[in-house]
Amino acid sequence: MMTDTPTLPGFISLQGIGKSYQLAGQHLAILNDVNLSIARGESCGILGASGSGKSTLLNILGLLDLPDCGAYRFAGHDIFNATPDQLAAIRNQQIGFVFQSFNLLPRLSALDNVALPLSYRGVSRQESVARALHMLEQVGLAERAHHRPADLSGGQRQRVAIARALVGAPAVILADEPTGNLDSHTAQDIMDLLLALNHEQGVTLIIVTHDPHIAERLNRQILVRNGVVHEAQCV
Amino acid sequence: MSLRVEQSLSQLLHEAFVSLRTLGKRSILALLGIVIGSSSVVALINIGHNAAEDAAMIFKDMGTDTLVAQFPPKGNSTVPMPTSLDLQAVRQAVPGIAHIGAISSFSGPVVFHGRTTNAGLIGSTPGLKDAMRLALREGRFLSEFDSGETYAVVGDQIAQALSMPGDPLRLGDRVRVNDYLFLIIGILQNQPRSMLIPVQTNESLFIPAAGMRRIYSSPQVGSVVLRATPGQDMERIASDATKAMSAQLMDHTVEIQIPQQMIDGMTRQSRTFAYLLLALGAISLVGGGVGVMNVMLMNVSERRREIGIRMALGARQRDIRNLFLLEAVTLTAVGALCGAVMGMGAAYLYAWLSGWQFSLAVSALPLGVGSTLLVGLFFGIYPAISASRLQPVEALRDE
Repeated sequence: MMTDTPTLPGFISLQGIGKSYQLAGQHLAILNDVNLSIARGESCGILGASGSGKSTLLNILGLLDLPDCGAYRFAGHDIFNATPDQLAAIRNQQIGFVFQSFNLLPRLSALDNVALPLSYRGVSRQESVARALHMLEQVGLAERAHHRPADLSGGQRQRVAIARALVGAPAVILADEPTGNLDSHTAQDIMDLLLALNHEQGVTLIIVTHDPHIAERLNRQILVRNGVVHEAQCV
Repeated sequence: MSLRVEQSLSQLLHEAFVSLRTLGKRSILALLGIVIGSSSVVALINIGHNAAEDAAMIFKDMGTDTLVAQFPPKGNSTVPMPTSLDLQAVRQAVPGIAHIGAISSFSGPVVFHGRTTNAGLIGSTPGLKDAMRLALREGRFLSEFDSGETYAVVGDQIAQALSMPGDPLRLGDRVRVNDYLFLIIGILQNQPRSMLIPVQTNESLFIPAAGMRRIYSSPQVGSVVLRATPGQDMERIASDATKAMSAQLMDHTVEIQIPQQMIDGMTRQSRTFAYLLLALGAISLVGGGVGVMNVMLMNVSERRREIGIRMALGARQRDIRNLFLLEAVTLTAVGALCGAVMGMGAAYLYAWLSGWQFSLAVSALPLGVGSTLLVGLFFGIYPAISASRLQPVEALRDE
């Protein structure tokens, strides 16, 4: 699997990625010829106005959506040749998602939400609960483990979501506006938590944001404008 | 990195438990349909089983070696039946008859110490005791030598009806029928009801056939009860006896029903009935299944976002399919269990109201619960597969 396509540099590498949608009979190009390479352990901000295609880029990076053309390698896997089951397994084992609207399952307790990714790896219930509890302790929410998401504050919900993203020890965390629904103080806490993970555990961090203050704290800033990607090397 | 892993059983059980805990009102309504369907299947199978068992019981007591001959008139003839038949001649003409007895019956009041009850008055020949398998609690049955006497043998119910605490009906007492006093020489044991014999033994007073004229001006032979010796071909005995008795009768035909034929007829009838009931249960189950499918489809469309999240967390298509299939089956399993309990209750109630003995049909529970689960599986598959076909990005986008 490692050698069936030309080797592309980096842990995550995209070459000539394009994506377009058919909307109301109109052909809408969202991404054009995106070339991007991200190394293991980097932290990147993806910036852009709404409608620029940054969410589509994140979906493609997170294997939730498939590009129309180009080449994409993720941790040595050729995404174009992977079956849906393989994509699911890569998502499960390599990627942790953090969403703007938290996306916790309302029917499950915080603990069960965090334990959920492990269930799709064949981990037994008992072990996955133990690991989830440990992860909730790390984000400082052990005493809220049995609360439903509805009983938690926004900041607490996002911590639960981060614990869920981390429980499977992923290589990459993809965060889509992780602080978008939080007040500035809580947003600061959440960013500190994400950056600490990046620094201390070497987790690759990719954050979609429109907030330049957040982007400043990351290694790289990638600008998406009208479906084209520019590298902004500042700081 | 292994790419093929299955969810462990403990995780699946947990998912099923969560889906049960969060059952909505709509699920409960769908459950109702399943409960009705499953309980009717269980109840109907069991009721059919108990009915068949009850019918079998009657014949077990009666035995299949008994034949009853009846004498419908030929054409429009109004000539009454003779007062007696030459049973000895029949017995000689037909080998294999162990016992033979004639019955001429009508009913009237029986009075004892001022207490009156209505009884079947059965003019009997001595062979009737063994032909009908009558068992005596006290005394003896009518014999050859009693034909001129005013003797009577009383059935269990009549004996009880004529008794009072401190003044029971005993051997040697005399009961009055019309203007004659009959001496009680025997009291019968309680006899099971018989399908075959046209006499309610427990509500009857047996008196000698020859003396019937004392209380009724024109007694007629109503039927003849025959019992074969063991191991006889009942059809041959029936046809031989028909011939022998027809020879003595001018204006009446002889009709003999063979118990085995009646049993076969009843089994056939109860089987048809059971199939009908089963079809009814199946239809209500399908109705319940449609309800489950409806709930599951709503469930899938309401939880698109959840499906997207689960896919983002690494659920494969088959995990999503299993999730919703499991929920459908859990839902129907609850319905099946409630239905099994209710169905058994209904069958018990029905047996109790019909005066049957309740016994559990072996096939009722597995068949009822199993068919319900199959219905859940069948109607759960389509919603589950449609859920699993969602694309993660589309499912996540859905608000």
